[in-house]
Amino acid sequence: MIAMRFVLFLAVSLSAIAAEPAGTPDAKAEFFEAKIRPLFVSRCLSCHGDAASGGLRLDARDAVLKGGKSGPAIVPGKPADSLLLQAVAHTHPRLKMPPNGQLDPQEVLQLDQWIKDGAVWPESPREFFLSKVKPVFDANCMACHDGSAQAGLKLDSRESLLKGGKSGPAIIPGDPQKSLLMQAVRQDHDTLKMPPAGHLSEDAIASLGKWVKDGAIWPEGPAKAPEYVLRPDQKAFWSFQPIRKSTPPQADRADWNRNPIDQFIYAKLKEKGLSPGKKADRATLLRRATFDLTGLPPTREEIAAFEADRSPDAFEKRIDKMLASQQYGERWGRHWLDLVRYADTAGDAADFPVPEMYKYRNYVINAFTKDKPYDQFLREQIAGDLLPWKSDDQHWEQTVATGYITVSRRVGVSPTGDRHVTLEDTIGNFGQTMLGLSVGCARCHDHKFDPIPTADYYALYGIFDSTTYPASGEEHNPYRRDMVYRVGKEKAAEILKPFDEAFAPWKKLERQKFNEYQEFQDKKILTPGRSREVVWKELTEVRENLRPIAESYPALETAWAVSEGKPHDVKIQIYGEPKNTGALVRRGFPLILGGMKLPESGTGSGRLELAQWLTDPKNPLPARVIANRIWHYHFGKGIVTSTSDFGVRGAAPTHPELLDYLAARFVEDGWSFKKMHKLILLSETYQLASADIPANSATDPQNSYLWRQNRQRLDAEEISDSIRLLSGTLDLSMGERHPFPNERTYFYRQHEPFGANYQNPRRSVYAMQQRITKNPYLDLFDGSDGNLPVGERRSTTTSLQALYLMNSEFMDQQSKLISAKAIAAAPDAPGRVRWAYETIFGRAPKANELQQSQEFLRKFGKETDTPWKSYIHAMLSSNPFLFVD
Amino acid sequence: MLSNTPDRRTAIRSLAAGGLLLPGILSELLGGNASAAELENPLAPKPPHFKPKAKRVIFLFMTGGVSHIDSFDPKPYLTQNHGKAVGKNFYKGADWKFQRYGKSGIEVSDLFPETGKVIDDICVIRSMKNINGDHFGATIGIHTGSATFNRPSMGSWVSYGLGTENQNLPSFVVIAPELPYAGGQVYGSDFLPVLHQGTRIIPGPEPISNMKRRAATAELQQTELQLTEYFNRQHLAERETDSNLAARIKSFETAFGMQKEAPEAFDISKESDATLKLYGLERGSTKGFGWQCLVARRLAERGVRFVELIDGGTSIDHNWDAHAYMPVYNKLAPAVDTPIAGLLKDLKSRGMLDDTIVVWTTEFGRTPTVPDPSAEGRGHHATAYSSWVAGGGFAGGRAYGVSDDIGGIVVQDEVSVHDLQATILNQLGLDHLKLTYRHAGRDYRLTDVHGKVVKGILA
Repeated sequence: MIAMRFVLFLAVSLSAIAAEPAGTPDAKAEFFEAKIRPLFVSRCLSCHGDAASGGLRLDARDAVLKGGKSGPAIVPGKPADSLLLQAVAHTHPRLKMPPNGQLDPQEVLQLDQWIKDGAVWPESPREFFLSKVKPVFDANCMACHDGSAQAGLKLDSRESLLKGGKSGPAIIPGDPQKSLLMQAVRQDHDTLKMPPAGHLSEDAIASLGKWVKDGAIWPEGPAKAPEYVLRPDQKAFWSFQPIRKSTPPQADRADWNRNPIDQFIYAKLKEKGLSPGKKADRATLLRRATFDLTGLPPTREEIAAFEADRSPDAFEKRIDKMLASQQYGERWGRHWLDLVRYADTAGDAADFPVPEMYKYRNYVINAFTKDKPYDQFLREQIAGDLLPWKSDDQHWEQTVATGYITVSRRVGVSPTGDRHVTLEDTIGNFGQTMLGLSVGCARCHDHKFDPIPTADYYALYGIFDSTTYPASGEEHNPYRRDMVYRVGKEKAAEILKPFDEAFAPWKKLERQKFNEYQEFQDKKILTPGRSREVVWKELTEVRENLRPIAESYPALETAWAVSEGKPHDVKIQIYGEPKNTGALVRRGFPLILGGMKLPESGTGSGRLELAQWLTDPKNPLPARVIANRIWHYHFGKGIVTSTSDFGVRGAAPTHPELLDYLAARFVEDGWSFKKMHKLILLSETYQLASADIPANSATDPQNSYLWRQNRQRLDAEEISDSIRLLSGTLDLSMGERHPFPNERTYFYRQHEPFGANYQNPRRSVYAMQQRITKNPYLDLFDGSDGNLPVGERRSTTTSLQALYLMNSEFMDQQSKLISAKAIAAAPDAPGRVRWAYETIFGRAPKANELQQSQEFLRKFGKETDTPWKSYIHAMLSSNPFLFVD
Repeated sequence: MLSNTPDRRTAIRSLAAGGLLLPGILSELLGGNASAAELENPLAPKPPHFKPKAKRVIFLFMTGGVSHIDSFDPKPYLTQNHGKAVGKNFYKGADWKFQRYGKSGIEVSDLFPETGKVIDDICVIRSMKNINGDHFGATIGIHTGSATFNRPSMGSWVSYGLGTENQNLPSFVVIAPELPYAGGQVYGSDFLPVLHQGTRIIPGPEPISNMKRRAATAELQQTELQLTEYFNRQHLAERETDSNLAARIKSFETAFGMQKEAPEAFDISKESDATLKLYGLERGSTKGFGWQCLVARRLAERGVRFVELIDGGTSIDHNWDAHAYMPVYNKLAPAVDTPIAGLLKDLKSRGMLDDTIVVWTTEFGRTPTVPDPSAEGRGHHATAYSSWVAGGGFAGGRAYGVSDDIGGIVVQDEVSVHDLQATILNQLGLDHLKLTYRHAGRDYRLTDVHGKVVKGILA
């Protein structure tokens, strides 16, 4: 058998050799090289080379014969029938080439001659390799001998072949007989027989043989990523240095010497010739801390109790109570949801709903409530499905956590086709949120400022590309795919099989009807009784009829989570263009952070390794970035003010030693948020009054060195939640699934996008967040955004906000409800005013305020029969309510 | 909670803007080097990069993709070869005849006869090319320069670059009875401050939400505002240097001004019969593109920087996406043709056309070939389509750019969406390379990494 094949091979290769032009190139070949090839190169290849404009390449004979979208470019022997000639002679009605100026008549004649003579095109070694050899490798060998290098052999360059694998060099240029590659594909080697599950065609073997015999020329082999070398100044940049925990400097004031934060802050103030201001009064402090930790105001009873409690740990007790509440998880979970641009819809052109997304939202809130260690929190979001678990509940919780990856934006009409855009969103967010680095900038080219080569981007890309994201459904394929089932994929398939079988004919019918509807776009349909409207109606009926079947499915628990896909490395996409690929990049971690590569033995996507690299204590960024974020949320401004950019173009830290101290403490304290909150809230620095000190603001107008607290405006959610809390209309229970329709009945298109926005009376963090549709209220007050990762909320002041406060239905209704509470709170005006001040402003009114208020109430009394409503409305619109000192 | 850093200069400026300081002491406090614009808010008029030709933009957007070969790009070859097989498809000639108009003799189809009559004020671009062939990508492509992710809209960039002339009205107004593809993404400010976002107007009794006084009487509202002001002043007394507090006090004054001025801007009852006729508008009606165009003129007159009018929504029965039946244009075109021509005439007669840019565009054109000779509709076609520009220093009576004999591809003077954006900014005195905003570690611009000013469409 082996012998027979060998004989056959010899015969074929001999015949191939015999067909070649012998000896010196003939006149036709010479004519091609002298006249035609230069013409193609100079006038055509800029569009019809790699760019293949109109699908046409003019760089090889086969390609020319195959042609482009308009058909074959030449018919050898028949110039008049050749599109190429018609185009350059401008005899074709539409195709007129080249677009930038007609060819010389002489050149047109030469092309005419060349085609007439049979379009002889002597193949260059490069053309032979690209047309006959490389396609054989790509189609038959690269699945194993690409990045994964089965048996140590890679077929990605001449060098790799010469180096060979475990069995030795794969080729000996000039000697096909002795080359292992040839023995393997001819399958006449004792043990090596390739490809493992078949046999190459004789043509393919002959081409490989000829190629090896002619010296195995590999023109500009797959470009290797140019070695990216980190410069010393890049390596020395502050944010990439290990975290250094220095000893807090001694302060010469006892009250500033108790908390390490104060020691660092005080030292810097002294250095700058500044002195800290007074402490905030107790009512102010409690209001500040309560908004800070829960996003809600303290009650007047809580303020009164705190003012009366003179025990040394009075404040600490309040902090502990708030940290233990669900409201804390909601407030701080919201910060994280801002960063991961949480939304309940996918963001594609039809904005398909994602009913399960809320599970990730609640996971985040619970993680904060339970003070899940931050490193674990990060690991779970990257690879929770792959981490060890002790109970099924834990496994499921961790799986839900990977919603961090799946919440990535789906874009356009065919998001699964534009997967690279979704991955861009994933990688960009991963870099900004978890590392404080704009890794996304390296998609098209090496980062212009930070030490992030393009290869880093594609090292991460490979990891996420080896991960299966569920599909939400899209215009041309409305059914969801790759959902993660709690019972597991196989078990779910088994349970769902009968339902799927019952549903399948309906799905088919629906698509048939839909296609029939679409046919009206293609031709005029004259069948009596068949009109677009009629078919649309039928389609709608089919969709209604399949609903009960969709609803009959058992309610298996699903998550919008990832699962492992086929592990593979990816090639660099040149200028971010997926079809234009360069060197293959091993999956791994950014160079500046160690450049770890997935071990050759790795069998998964690499997410598990990514989670470990990310949270390895040697990686200084996650702890630094999150310590700074926590600081930012407490002070309204980070030690690094660009909270998601710790790169060269980001801001430098105002207190580098403090930042590192906090980061180190954070890790030592088990990556605990709650311990960090306490450390900060119990500091003198946090408890400073927000009042101006002219002597300080003259030199430090921005309060960069924190000689006072920063006054902050309530954010969109705080305004809405607080007002509803005061009126008694806020439901403090945890949010659940939004009432989306059954997920097997989604037929949204860009023409009929999903648009419903379900309301619920819970805290704003539980409000449905859409992607294509804007939420006017959240936009108005710089609230959360489902598309944009937000590290620092803006605090704009616009007259449209004022109009909302003045004229909106919400303010009107809520003022009315709260005024009823004021009236019920006390029998007389002074009592009610006092109640309103304490409840809304968080402090008691002064005597003159009490008096002025009563005058206004008398004035209102003459103008309206609801003076208290007007009074409360004015309070809710005013700065003492909207700002926190 | 949101930070607010008191910066003394800013504080002083806000106090000045809020009328809390006498103008006389301003220059002293500021050291004399602050420009007038700096004293105001972020929407105060800002000087452009260089001397502008135009001050404002009226952007007319036809949702769904208007067929270029049936409107502004005549293709006799296609008509002559109607029904001829090409590969798997068939040529489909225009459904409407073309006539020459004006001194320039530019050909316009019978869909737009009124626009034809003002063609000498228009520069038709027959070589437009978009970056995406789907509604979603192409619609945000022409608006934001990106076919995928959210980016700020052109109107937001212009507002950010130039501010606006009337503080009682938003700087960027979008009159859209229905939303186009990609919804709010079309007029979003994304990473630019939200006050540059388009304010969407829905024709009807309350075009801008919360603009109508809810308090029972004007006196009551004023008393409520006086009380708010009282609380604010008490609060400010102990926090004098906080610019944000002062800015918020000021915002109520502005809001009160808006509440008065905005309804008046939308109230067309005082327009003459002749003017209403010009726009093809019946007295008392707020329906149709005529109302949108007339209100656009009124907003432009009042100093709004960027007005966008959107025709049609996402349903193919209410927009230009004529896949199945081109003759639907017989209804759509007349509904916009008279108002648009009326707008140009009106702007011209008021001397406003010189410094107002009017852009008529759509996300893409439609295919010259169809899959069956009987087909009555056309598909999406982004590789060659038509738009036009008028006023604001653009060349009237000019046809620019050439598509091939069937309108399939651009063969001369291609104008990409980024080129059109760069050129509109140029006419406003803005260099598209310099109008940048730092976000996520990068300086972003409207034209991404593309765009060139198209000199050939300028007067």
